[in-house]
Amino acid sequence: MDIPIWLFIYVDSCLFLIFYLYVRKIKKRIGFQLGMNISMVMGGMIAMLSGVLFILQFPFHFTYITMLSALIGMGSGAVFGKLFDHETFVAGLTNGAVVGLMAPMIGTVVEMPGRFVLGLHILFAMSMVMILSSVIRS
Amino acid sequence: MLILVLLLWNVGEMVYIYRVFRKKQTLFDDRYTKTMCMALSSISSFVIALYLQLLLPLHPVTYFLPSCAGLWIGWKFGSFMKAPASLNGMYNGALGGIMGMMFGAVLQNPAICNIPITEASFTSNLVSLVLFCAALHTLVHHFIRKSLTK
Repeated sequence: MDIPIWLFIYVDSCLFLIFYLYVRKIKKRIGFQLGMNISMVMGGMIAMLSGVLFILQFPFHFTYITMLSALIGMGSGAVFGKLFDHETFVAGLTNGAVVGLMAPMIGTVVEMPGRFVLGLHILFAMSMVMILSSVIRS
Repeated sequence: MLILVLLLWNVGEMVYIYRVFRKKQTLFDDRYTKTMCMALSSISSFVIALYLQLLLPLHPVTYFLPSCAGLWIGWKFGSFMKAPASLNGMYNGALGGIMGMMFGAVLQNPAICNIPITEASFTSNLVSLVLFCAALHTLVHHFIRKSLTK
């Protein structure tokens, strides 16, 4: 099955930017506990998605893609954590780094990449809906 | 040789920050201790387990040593907190140890993950990834030391 990986990368980065701008707008209403969970979940999910999608697109550059996905995960966790506190910053950075180092390995061993990418996006959408509902409820 | 130097460097950094935390333990509140112990135990046990997996030979005695080292690091960092909360440090340490062991095994034998790496670029691949992990460890410890002085 041929999957449009660049489309997935584009949609994910757009969702990430929109979510970041939304959280930045209402960050005064979010407590530190929810902020820590937001930075950890978003750093981990972005690191996972970027590692899997990039390794499916360029299967011959394992080293560079491991470094790139770890840096992307660290950056996204740090960007979300920097909105709230220094401790959420460190938690998001570490979680993004560890998940980003692991993600390309999963991408190389999957047998059905189309369904795996689809499942990851369903997980991403579910975690985002969960975060949005808990933000609105708080 | 390079891996041994990096192992000594990271262990030194970890022991330094452990002593600082042990000395100033009563000054911090619960949330700060919990977050810092989570971050420290996960990244330190990941890096230490990766080095141990690369350095030790494949033998039934040393087979589970990297993950046990990760568990021990998590336990030591978790012991700053009260008894039920120290499970957090232990959990993160064991997770980091198992992940580091897996990463080391894949670096030693890339055919496990069907990674197309030739024999020529094998050593440079290993060295660059190990250096990158050491740089990550140093970066996280730098941020934690910076948060101590605030």
